[in-house]
Amino acid sequence: MTKEEILNELKKVIAPYTTNKEMLAGIDDNTDLIKDLKINSANLVDIIIDAEAKYDIEIDYDSADKMVNVGNCIAVISEKMKEKNEQHG
Amino acid sequence: MNSTGNDIVSLNAIDITRTRQQRFYSKILAGSESILYNQYQDDLAFETFVWILWSVKESAYKFLQRTNPNLVFSPTRCFVTQLEIPVEYQILNPSISILEGMGFDGHPACKSIVTVGSETLYSSSIITRGFIFSVVSRDNDFESTGWGIKRIDDAGSDNQSAEVRTFLLEKLKKELPLHQLQVHKNAHGCPVLVNGAEKIDACVSLAHHDHWVGYSYQLDSVMA
Repeated sequence: MTKEEILNELKKVIAPYTTNKEMLAGIDDNTDLIKDLKINSANLVDIIIDAEAKYDIEIDYDSADKMVNVGNCIAVISEKMKEKNEQHG
Repeated sequence: MNSTGNDIVSLNAIDITRTRQQRFYSKILAGSESILYNQYQDDLAFETFVWILWSVKESAYKFLQRTNPNLVFSPTRCFVTQLEIPVEYQILNPSISILEGMGFDGHPACKSIVTVGSETLYSSSIITRGFIFSVVSRDNDFESTGWGIKRIDDAGSDNQSAEVRTFLLEKLKKELPLHQLQVHKNAHGCPVLVNGAEKIDACVSLAHHDHWVGYSYQLDSVMA
């Protein structure tokens, strides 16, 4: 998947947890999930779990800790998808 | 430097089924913490246990982030090492809409000890049918910790933020002889108290979730 494809799918993952739909439509790497999208911190684990299910990946603790802005979310998802593809040869 | 940190979790806004799934709670609980549940499993729902620990850890993070702005919130690296839950831990009054206090004497608060790296902190948590509210302090007695919880009608994110500030400022205006108090956020997103252009040497923490907002504060250095 390209970065843009991951971004478009990530918007769908995040959508249930933000009421700021206008901001969601225009998110970029620097968009902060809590400060900009007003996502409650209690929902950050939901987003990680939903991302794991959507991309069929496992996000370890170190990677999960980084998923506070859109750029880091994309980087983590991209890295985990690459690892999965390498494992499955 | 002293600090304060709080968190509130609306129990009507959590996904109970999901919270009980290992895939979910393993991202909140450290391995050693599951043992803490054993002694309470007959009286305490597992999802309540998970969210108590979440709120304690989030509060500890807010407490420490004030002096360590680059700290990353990592729930599985915060360790709740002790948890004491009173037999009658739950405040059952369904019409409760505002609770405020100084310290937790007289309240059936859950007490815990949480460690993050080399830091050891203490927490007190109030639990009702509607929410879990936690406050973290460096001292176990919470004598100089003020706190408040309020139910709000409009759970929109902007309104939550506005309501919790108003709630805190209404309280502080009774405590401090200052007439231009406002809550700002510093460059690291940490709430700070100002009076006009003057920064006030007090620690405040804000939390909101769904229809509940809560604050905590430490005024020692201002009152001294």
